[in-house]
Amino acid sequence: MKSLRLYLYRNWQLYALLILPLAFFLVFKYGPMYGILIAFQDYNLFKGVTGSEWVGLDVFREVFGMSGFYEALRNTFMLNLLDLLVSFPAPIVLALMLNELAGRRFKKFAQTVLYLPHFLSWVIIGGIMFQVFATKTGIVNLLLGRFGIDPVPFLTDKYAWLVTYLAVGVWQSAGWGTIIYLAAITGVNSELYEAASVDGAGRLRRMWSVTLPGIRPTIVMLLILKIGEIVQIGFDRPYVLGNVSVRDFSEVISTFVYKTGIQTAQYSIATAVGLFQAVVGIVLLLLANAIAKKITDNGVL
Amino acid sequence: MRGKGLRFTLAVALIAGMLAGCSQGGNKEGSSSATASDHSGKTEQVTLKVGIFDRGNAPAGYTATENYWTDYVQKNFGDPNNIKVEFVPIPRTDASDKVNVMMSSGDAPDVVFANTSPLTAYGYAKDGGLLPLDDLIEQYGPNLKKYLGPALDSGKVDGVQYSIPGRRVNTGKYENLIRQDWLDKLGLPMPKTTEEVYQTLKAFKEKDPGQTGGGVIPLGFSLTPASIEPIVWSFIEDGLTDEQRYTLSESLGYPLLLPGHKEAVRFLNKLYNEGLMSPDFSLDKDEKQVFQDVMTGKVGMYSDNLGNSFNATPGIAKVLTQNVPGAKLVPTDPYTNNAGKHLKPEYDPTGFFLMVPAASKRGVEAIKYLDWMAQPDVLNTIMNGIEGEDYTLTDGVPYRIESEETSKRMFNANDIAMITQGQDFGSDEKNWAAAAAAVPKEFRDYVVEAYKMSMTDTIRYANFTSPIEAENKYIPTLQDKYDELIVKSIMTKPGDFDKTYDDLLKDYMASGGDAIKQERTEAYAAMKK
Repeated sequence: MKSLRLYLYRNWQLYALLILPLAFFLVFKYGPMYGILIAFQDYNLFKGVTGSEWVGLDVFREVFGMSGFYEALRNTFMLNLLDLLVSFPAPIVLALMLNELAGRRFKKFAQTVLYLPHFLSWVIIGGIMFQVFATKTGIVNLLLGRFGIDPVPFLTDKYAWLVTYLAVGVWQSAGWGTIIYLAAITGVNSELYEAASVDGAGRLRRMWSVTLPGIRPTIVMLLILKIGEIVQIGFDRPYVLGNVSVRDFSEVISTFVYKTGIQTAQYSIATAVGLFQAVVGIVLLLLANAIAKKITDNGVL
Repeated sequence: MRGKGLRFTLAVALIAGMLAGCSQGGNKEGSSSATASDHSGKTEQVTLKVGIFDRGNAPAGYTATENYWTDYVQKNFGDPNNIKVEFVPIPRTDASDKVNVMMSSGDAPDVVFANTSPLTAYGYAKDGGLLPLDDLIEQYGPNLKKYLGPALDSGKVDGVQYSIPGRRVNTGKYENLIRQDWLDKLGLPMPKTTEEVYQTLKAFKEKDPGQTGGGVIPLGFSLTPASIEPIVWSFIEDGLTDEQRYTLSESLGYPLLLPGHKEAVRFLNKLYNEGLMSPDFSLDKDEKQVFQDVMTGKVGMYSDNLGNSFNATPGIAKVLTQNVPGAKLVPTDPYTNNAGKHLKPEYDPTGFFLMVPAASKRGVEAIKYLDWMAQPDVLNTIMNGIEGEDYTLTDGVPYRIESEETSKRMFNANDIAMITQGQDFGSDEKNWAAAAAAVPKEFRDYVVEAYKMSMTDTIRYANFTSPIEAENKYIPTLQDKYDELIVKSIMTKPGDFDKTYDDLLKDYMASGGDAIKQERTEAYAAMKK
């Protein structure tokens, strides 16, 4: 008891510093969460949360009866899984390659060029994509035409669109993703490389047996975070890149919530879907973390 | 996590709204002051918030909320009545979404509007979000009542006046346009039937009269009503009964359930598969691509909102003639149905639905404002400017003076005069001449012709006096479903057309189409009694 008081007496300034960040989280992160109640109400715009009628789980029953919801859920999983397969390894490969570059200046230059797409908003990327991949006038199809290949409907056929969607994702995010891996790579003990080359390991061998194991914890950590997010999907990318002809694949939970919530003003349903998404997200995150702990002895939570 | 983001935004907006409310409350005595403010100077000034569309087109030095006409309103209406008129911008694109958020956060202006659909006002009224206006109009709106006349009735829900429908003078909706110079070059006559349109489009593709080098788009098309409606309506079969019109309309704007619709889509499917229409039309949700293709001389034929192609902005016809010397874009009315009629849709004679939120304390001032605007001389001034400065009168029709100051001044005059879309000069001919007077000289005859064509064989949507509850609930979803049906049915292979169309129609009906049809059938039976 005495030691605690002494501890507080000595360190109270540190705790005082916490007040502002804590208040921020309470006011802006936890405060608005009372809105979750909307999911259990027949929400009336003008009566608000306090005046609307309570309906228990009726809203959820309605949601689980909507075919659009299952489609959105399926697409969310599908797009995120494919993205995980394609976009997750891309920065690792890129980082390994960048690491092998000898010229310092060229390396810096290459890195900067690779980062840039990350800073473009999806709206701009979508505009570029529509121009580049257009069926008749897009540069890609014009080039294909030169080789005698018929135009590919990159934007309007759903399978071709899937490829476009993933490719654009890699283009946008791969460069940015290398930052963390490059930082991790610099942490690998250089004596290991020397030892490896003395033992006769070539470049590829060193990449495989020294660099990769060196950044394994980083890879696992990022993978866990990714898996935790698999039920969540950003709004802008599918919304901007998608269109009516590929709606079978491009309608995901976030766009579904936007449509039912903002456009149709069915706030109860939108909130219920959002809540469902959050709960599944947490479950997946905990699951991934538990598995990671088993495999590598270190989780993130 | 969009949902959380939304709630957060709403919460912030709500707080902002409360703060704004507090700061206003400080210098006001509450709503009771409204009646007393007739004796000007006795009470403190109150603030009336009025929505205004922001189209992002304000000329330098002006904004949507501060310009010549907002000053005019303040000086001529606000100051004499001791009211501060504050204009609140509503973005024209996504207006309905934005107004939804404004209403839910209690931050909507005292005069608010979103679109020309009565369903919006109905939805709000049903949830208790709108102020009943009967007594207020009776007491403060004699001019307004006189100006709108019986049209006011379409703003009623269960007999109570919850919104004020603006008037619409010209009810024509669309125009079809064709490149006359291409026809001349190929020695083709102006197409007069749908079949002839098909032959003409084929000739455009094969002979490429515009020398586009393979880039020719015989029929410019987009995923917008302006492209879809003129064609699908033109296929609707002759001799619809009242029962069909009432029970099979879905307030969509599109005649999906009326006989003939499927054939219209089959026609478009044929055009698409033969490469006769815009290949990426499904991506063009704002007509931008079509307009661009027309202006660069690639398109042979297309349809558009009435009058738009000849307007000074975006200046489609003007830019086309600059880009392609000798290009001649003329209105045409070629599509025919099974009886040889040129069926086409027509607007209801109502414009935007103006509402006053239930939370508003300025109902009296709102009606006073609209009533002031409804006075003939005020309305005339707002719509045309000052005589001699902005327009000259010829045969009772105001012709706009082409000066920089005038075009700057008039850029949003129509958005101030929300109680009407267009000015009524007493006869169709005069109204058309007036509409033509606003475009560059060389196009005026075409505009008159287009307006005339837009009114031949028109058909109006059959609506009941009270809205259909199921439409309020399902229409936004069904709009999406309809787009999907159109896009996929047009883009499928001709052999798969029937299956694709029928499957999508089934999906449409299951997603609310059936519910609307049933309610409409019941309402029709009730009406017949």
